[in-house]
Amino acid sequence: MKINKEIRRLSREMLRASFTDGQLDPGRIASLVDSLIARKPRNYIGVLKNYRRLLRIEVEKRRARIETASEVARETSSRLVANLKKKYGGDLTTEFVVNPQLLGGMRIRVGSDVWDGSVRDRLERLEQQL
Amino acid sequence: MSSILEEIETKIEGLKTSTTKSNVGVVRETGDGVARIEGLSDVMLNEMIEFPNGVFGLALNLEETEVGAILLGETTKVSEGDEVRTTGKLLQVPVGKALLGRVVNTIGQPLDGKGEIKTDSFYPLEKIAPGVIKRRSVSQPVQTGIMAIDAMIPIGRGQRELIIGDRATGKTTIAIDTIISQARLNKAGEKGEVKDYRPLYCIYVAVGQKNSNVARTLAVLEKEGAMPYTTIISAPASDTATNQYLAPFAGAAMGEWFMDNGMDALIIYDDLSKHAVAYRQVSLVLRRPSGREAYPGDVFYLHSRLLERSARVAEEFGGGSVTALPIIETQAGDVSAYIPTNVISITDGQIYLETDLFYQGIRPAISVGLSVSRVGSAAQIKAIKQVAGKVKLDLAQFRELAAFAQFGSDLDAATKARLDRGQRIVELFKQKQYNPIPVEEQVAVMWAMQNGYLDAVPVERVKEFQIKLQDYLQTRKESLLAAIRDKKQLDENIESQLRAALDEFKTTWR
Ligand SMILES: Nc1ncnc2c1ncn2[C@@H]1O[C@H](COP(=O)(O)OP(=O)(O)O)[C@@H](O)[C@H]1O
Ligand SMILES: [Mg+2]
Repeated sequence: MKINKEIRRLSREMLRASFTDGQLDPGRIASLVDSLIARKPRNYIGVLKNYRRLLRIEVEKRRARIETASEVARETSSRLVANLKKKYGGDLTTEFVVNPQLLGGMRIRVGSDVWDGSVRDRLERLEQQL
Repeated sequence: MSSILEEIETKIEGLKTSTTKSNVGVVRETGDGVARIEGLSDVMLNEMIEFPNGVFGLALNLEETEVGAILLGETTKVSEGDEVRTTGKLLQVPVGKALLGRVVNTIGQPLDGKGEIKTDSFYPLEKIAPGVIKRRSVSQPVQTGIMAIDAMIPIGRGQRELIIGDRATGKTTIAIDTIISQARLNKAGEKGEVKDYRPLYCIYVAVGQKNSNVARTLAVLEKEGAMPYTTIISAPASDTATNQYLAPFAGAAMGEWFMDNGMDALIIYDDLSKHAVAYRQVSLVLRRPSGREAYPGDVFYLHSRLLERSARVAEEFGGGSVTALPIIETQAGDVSAYIPTNVISITDGQIYLETDLFYQGIRPAISVGLSVSRVGSAAQIKAIKQVAGKVKLDLAQFRELAAFAQFGSDLDAATKARLDRGQRIVELFKQKQYNPIPVEEQVAVMWAMQNGYLDAVPVERVKEFQIKLQDYLQTRKESLLAAIRDKKQLDENIESQLRAALDEFKTTWR
């Protein structure tokens, strides 16, 4: 999809208006979308699509995906969540996934940051070094 | 053996405790050798990024939510949804003497089947912080072995001299001849035959050419024994636009290694017209705005930052140099098109080749009037200045007079003498390809011309006279040639030897 300047500008403005106290506000988002659809400015479908994309990126920035090779103990996971929230803010959502391919250890992704402490990653790096 | 095992052991120990932090993104769109990636919030401009399956890319367009990257290597292995990560490394190529004698692609991988390139040194394609090079003005010559160039449009080490002309006017041939000439000099230098000789290593960057052309160039350089001093970087027309766009920068990086280590390198970019087209293509798929002739607005900056990297550094910083011979192919001789004017304004002069001259049999087809070298005469050896000081003017006047003389009319003796001299200079400057002439022979031949030894030779036999004279000097007057080479200037003694030699030669000539 080719995004022109106007689409980019409008959808960015909508994103900026989507927060309350630094957190995404579902009520505001819904009313922004409704008023856009009611006004139907030029390219409004393109604007909506790009707005949706920007929102998705925002949501991903506030979502932590924690992959582990095996199930983690409840105590460990709640400590982890507390630490992550301290770093990224209270509205961070967390998701735990078991991925045996990691072979051991864990991998945490928040937005585009990744901390990899998995055995798989170590092996891959070892392979590259040797 | 046990030490290797220990080393691996410590590496494993090191890895056990470490967690790596990286920055990732997801491929949203791919095609034409380009990927648009969401995420990668920490990526640097020109950083290498890693795709699955060991494919690498180069981050070029950094936007707020997206990164435009060009793919290096197997572009078909990348698909939508793939995770990509930053590497913290800028794109780099192997550099060093291990590259000599090799044919490599844009990222320095061998294409010649001669095995891996063994080097520990790598340079980024783009200079990160160029800083101010401690530049020094040009003062040492690049002997092209092409008499017309060495006499009239001399090139100095560290200079940027453009070779410009339509297709098939002999641009590439001039570059190849120059490489062959360096190889011969380097070889002679190794044997101690040239006093204080600094070898000049050559890097030939082939951009957007047919594979068969590159193969032909390689075959010539091999046959002439020039490859031991030469690296060929090949990004042919069949390669990706990305590789064609990056190849000159790889060449510049390899050349800079020589310069940084106090040595001299010569880089030929053949050619920057095709390079600009490749850059236009890359910019198009990256959706950058375009300007004149649909080239992206920063194409001028692209070429200026490439050619900016040629220089000669001051003695106290090693005295190394990078000389650049960019080539531009014009359409119907139009030098006022966008890319030619850009590159003309960046370089220190140009060798302008003309189709008309080429078809008149004047080869190399150098237009004397339109060719200049703004800094090179400072690098010319004195002996050449002594014999060729006036030759450019003589030739330019000859062209004028010749046009005028066509209209018949009686010519006074002086004009006639000028015409005769001019015709003979034109003949002397005709030169077969792959046949560079050592500077001392150039001096002897031009001295003979200046001192009237060719006046009685019919124009159509001037070339024959010249070749036989060179032969004679090579076989019979080796010490005289050596004296010119070493002294680099003509003194009374050398001139009298030259006179004696020519008088003797004349008796054998009929
Ligand atoms: N000095 C020369 N004498 C004879 N033939 C030449 C000379 N220079 C070039 N040629 C021939 O002219 C043709 C075109 O030369 P080339 O260097 O490939 O041109 P360009 O690079 O300008 O397209 C080639 O076949 C080449 O062999
Ligand atoms: Mg060519």
